[in-house]
Amino acid sequence: MDLAKKVLQGDEKSAARLISIMEDGGDEGYRLIPLLFPHTGKANIIGITGTPGAGKSTLIGKLAVIFANNGKKVGIIAVDPTSMKNHGALLGDRLRMKDAENTEGIFIRSMASRGYPGGIAKATAGTVYVLEALGKDIIMVETVGSGQTDTQIYSLCNTIITVLTPDYGDEVQLMKAGLLEIGDIVAINKSENTNAEDISTDVKAYINQRETKGRQIPVLTIQAKEGSGIEKLVDAINEHFVYLSKNIHGKELKKEKLKTLMLALLREELWGKALKTWTDNECFDGIVKKLQKGEIDPYTAVRAALEIKSL
Amino acid sequence: MDEKIIKVLIAKPGLDGHDRGAKVISHALKEAGMEVIYSGLHKTIDQIVHIALQEDVDIIGLSIMTGAHISIVGKLMKKMQEEDIIDKTVFVGGVIPAKDISKLKDLGVAGVFPGGTPLFETIELIKTHMKRT
Repeated sequence: MDLAKKVLQGDEKSAARLISIMEDGGDEGYRLIPLLFPHTGKANIIGITGTPGAGKSTLIGKLAVIFANNGKKVGIIAVDPTSMKNHGALLGDRLRMKDAENTEGIFIRSMASRGYPGGIAKATAGTVYVLEALGKDIIMVETVGSGQTDTQIYSLCNTIITVLTPDYGDEVQLMKAGLLEIGDIVAINKSENTNAEDISTDVKAYINQRETKGRQIPVLTIQAKEGSGIEKLVDAINEHFVYLSKNIHGKELKKEKLKTLMLALLREELWGKALKTWTDNECFDGIVKKLQKGEIDPYTAVRAALEIKSL
Repeated sequence: MDEKIIKVLIAKPGLDGHDRGAKVISHALKEAGMEVIYSGLHKTIDQIVHIALQEDVDIIGLSIMTGAHISIVGKLMKKMQEEDIIDKTVFVGGVIPAKDISKLKDLGVAGVFPGGTPLFETIELIKTHMKRT
């Protein structure tokens, strides 16, 4: 209770601790969210996704400073992958956000994905609420950056920026589902490296085939490291925020996203609970042994597991 | 995977531009199952404490090669007290003469790892310390 109260008073240390409690799976952390939730809903939640090395962190650092200079309070959640082998993680995103780190009013939190799928962590949504309650006007969420499946932020954020570089691949990459599909704005970074205009034309050609409810998706060429093109990106972000708040489609989309977010969290909870029930059952080890001996195939093993009687 | 995972900040204070050791230890701690934030070069004490506070790390590991370790650690401890984050454990690694180890411990450092310390010793000490606290 005290922790939530302190967060609402703007205490960064309490916010940081509450985020940790949620990350460590403590229900007491998530139980405080209802106290913060009434104070949320006004901030612009921006998701930044794209392949590793595309320059997402550098871009976020630059955007954050511009927003802060415009009088906005900024929160950043930077998610990096957790090792599937040893559960460790190297959280290296804030290293690229030096200017943001030194700017008053910007709160940066690194976060390991801890096995959660879709490019974010289980605690990421909760952290967005904590940062809103802390008084942030703009919250940027950087996905793991594992590529085309980094799509979980779609349900969490108002605006998604897909960051590409000129060496994204061939046009078949543009035809695939995933990253481009969820982008409300496309930023082509490191545009100094090649003929950025040609790349931009190619991307626009595929983007224009998307159903966007009358809105043209901006494709912007930027150089995040040098800071060029970032102001135009800020304008595009602000325009999209206004579009969502004034357009009936934007309001419907928000409702749909909330449902998707809830279902994604529910799926993870159910999976965690079911897995424990299965692995605690004495029959489970027998099924796994049969599988490992080559007596049954993985699909048969799953069917056998589903038939364990105590379930 | 809902469990307490040790979170470490590996920080490079001051003008020291050598970070091979900091990167090696960051990698080793990650391989040992910890979550590691590497600060990057040239951080002030205020910046290091600021990062530790926002990230709510359990451990602050300072990598110092400049010889200024006594003064840097003294300033860090003072700043940690001011910000009321004295619950975080501090370790120091780098070029640290043997005669200074006890001085650093007197300042409140939980462990000192001079260059050449086997990585497993650092990992074990951090894990043992975290179990105790």
